[in-house]
Amino acid sequence: MLTIKNLHAQVDQTAILKGLDLEIAPGEVHAIMGPNGSGKSTLASVLAGREDYEVTQGSVDFDGSDLLDMDASDRAREGLFLAFQYPVEIPGVSNLNFMKAAINAQREHRGMEAISAKDFLALVKEKSALVELAGRLRDRSVNEGFSGGEKKRNEIFQMAMLEPKLAILDETDSGLDIDALRIVSQGVNAMREAGRSFLVITHYQRLLDHIVPDHVHVLSDGKIVKSGTKDLAMELEEKGYDWIKEPAV
Amino acid sequence: MADTTPTSKAFWEGLTPSVSSGLASVAEAGRAALDRLPVPTRRSERWKYSPLTAMLAQPLNSPEAPHGIPEDVHVQPIPGLDAYRVVLVNGHVVTEACDFPVAEGVICMPLFQALDEGRLQGGDADWSGYHEREWVGALHAAHAQDGVYLELEEGVTLDRPLLVHHHVTGSNVAVCPRHRIVMGDQSSAEVLVWHSSSSEATGMVNALLEGHVGRGARLGLDKVQNEQGKIFHLAHEHVTQASDSTFRVHSMTVQGHWVRNELNVAQKGRGAHTIMHGVYLPKDQEHVDNHTTMDHTVPNCTSSELYKGILYDRSTGVFNGKVFVRQEAQQTNAYQQNANIVADQGASINAKPELEIYADDVKCSHGCTVGQFDDEALFYLKSRGIGERAARALMVQAFIGDVLAGMGSEEVAAEVETLLSERHGWM
Repeated sequence: MLTIKNLHAQVDQTAILKGLDLEIAPGEVHAIMGPNGSGKSTLASVLAGREDYEVTQGSVDFDGSDLLDMDASDRAREGLFLAFQYPVEIPGVSNLNFMKAAINAQREHRGMEAISAKDFLALVKEKSALVELAGRLRDRSVNEGFSGGEKKRNEIFQMAMLEPKLAILDETDSGLDIDALRIVSQGVNAMREAGRSFLVITHYQRLLDHIVPDHVHVLSDGKIVKSGTKDLAMELEEKGYDWIKEPAV
Repeated sequence: MADTTPTSKAFWEGLTPSVSSGLASVAEAGRAALDRLPVPTRRSERWKYSPLTAMLAQPLNSPEAPHGIPEDVHVQPIPGLDAYRVVLVNGHVVTEACDFPVAEGVICMPLFQALDEGRLQGGDADWSGYHEREWVGALHAAHAQDGVYLELEEGVTLDRPLLVHHHVTGSNVAVCPRHRIVMGDQSSAEVLVWHSSSSEATGMVNALLEGHVGRGARLGLDKVQNEQGKIFHLAHEHVTQASDSTFRVHSMTVQGHWVRNELNVAQKGRGAHTIMHGVYLPKDQEHVDNHTTMDHTVPNCTSSELYKGILYDRSTGVFNGKVFVRQEAQQTNAYQQNANIVADQGASINAKPELEIYADDVKCSHGCTVGQFDDEALFYLKSRGIGERAARALMVQAFIGDVLAGMGSEEVAAEVETLLSERHGWM
């Protein structure tokens, strides 16, 4: 599904990713943990195609295509989804019009007709129930006036609507209370299936109690320094990140 | 010291003086004022960002009345709009294309006819005094042409909007249409003034609209400027409001080579409400200037002003919003907002709110913003698969959507949006 080889990336001449390797097979859930400043969000941004990040070395293969050769909208149409750490408020653009435009862009890309109003509304009803997103939130402007938890649920709603092949969750747990964390995790778990992969970026282990990963990686100074199973996340929770940064004994 | 003001005489001396006997004294006063008043240049504060130099470089001529309806005047410029229609070409009323008379209790006829019938007596031939204040107004008055006279009797509601379609064609034409709207007490009407021109048209449109909204009456005015070619468009609307009246105006500049809109509204009776909204999206090297004056002269009135602009390429824009709250105008609630997006590096906007408040128990708020498109929002839209152009279109629609939504009819708002998206290649 995703093969990252020796990825180097920089922002404003500052190197952040320094040779990252990662392989995600279809249906797998990978978690990336790491201290602040280790490059977690940079990885998410580079994969989603944010323009101010410059890739200086390495390659990313996404389901047989060169991901780095596509612009952000093409990546999304090919089935990549980024759940933002800080979802953007867009006053005046209704959440539903936004989703309709997104779905139709994807369908056009696949040579399909635009979705009918009836099918679209049925889809909205089904997917918004998944994350308990009330109608009034669906019908408002994109994220405008949403609480932190509502914004994150809206991200998962969009993910459910677009049914990506690979979903990257960038610190989706940040700013969530226990209930919102449960709802968001349920939404993600409901979408787990053989052909869909997840890359869950988080600072804390608690999200991984709800979304149980197949693999856990620790990112430090722009590289993956340790990989393991979900037990590694438990160990990190106990010991913190400092022991990881020290050279292996 | 020699004055370097452009010699204006050559510019206008070839023009045909106003032919209406009912406007003779106004035209005469206009001619006299042309010699007296200063030609607008960068030196005058009110015209600093919109000097007329380029327009004055080319002498103009007065176009003849058209024979029939020119082919490029669409029979119905707005799909689906059911309206009474008045058509003017180059300032001449094309009677055979007009729905005269429109409805019972409504007088709708060419202005010249109304003057001939003595409907505008004495000093009533002019309400605005535009020609006494501004050289541009004098230029208009001296060459004033025909237009619409609309009068609603007390308590009458016009059952359909009145569409005044003004079309310009020809080279170096000087066109000076003049309209009058008189809303009787408790009457109600929607008026749409639609300006178009043929693609090779050049010259000047110098339009005046005078209106009065009677007690408890309501007037909605949508003005759409969609002029191709190279037209210098000078517009002045002068509206007074009686007590408990409502006046709504939308000034929508879809396309225009050089546009100066001067909108003056004065509230003369308590409880009046005014809505002034506008949108401008110039591109290439176009210029759009909106000068508005909201004059609160009596207590307990409200006004709400919202102008939004997106400036592309090397276009330039001006917004000047003057709000007077006179000493007697206690309990005024005045709101003004002007928001601009400068989409390209070569574009610019000069925005200036001017509030003069002499009363002490009032609520006045104003805001003015100049910014760029929000890159983070654009990336968010793109990250969901929406392409660059569609993403920008969504953001533009979001930005101007609240102004469009307040227009008199959905059909007109939809047509304005369609024209804008065709012109800017959004969809």
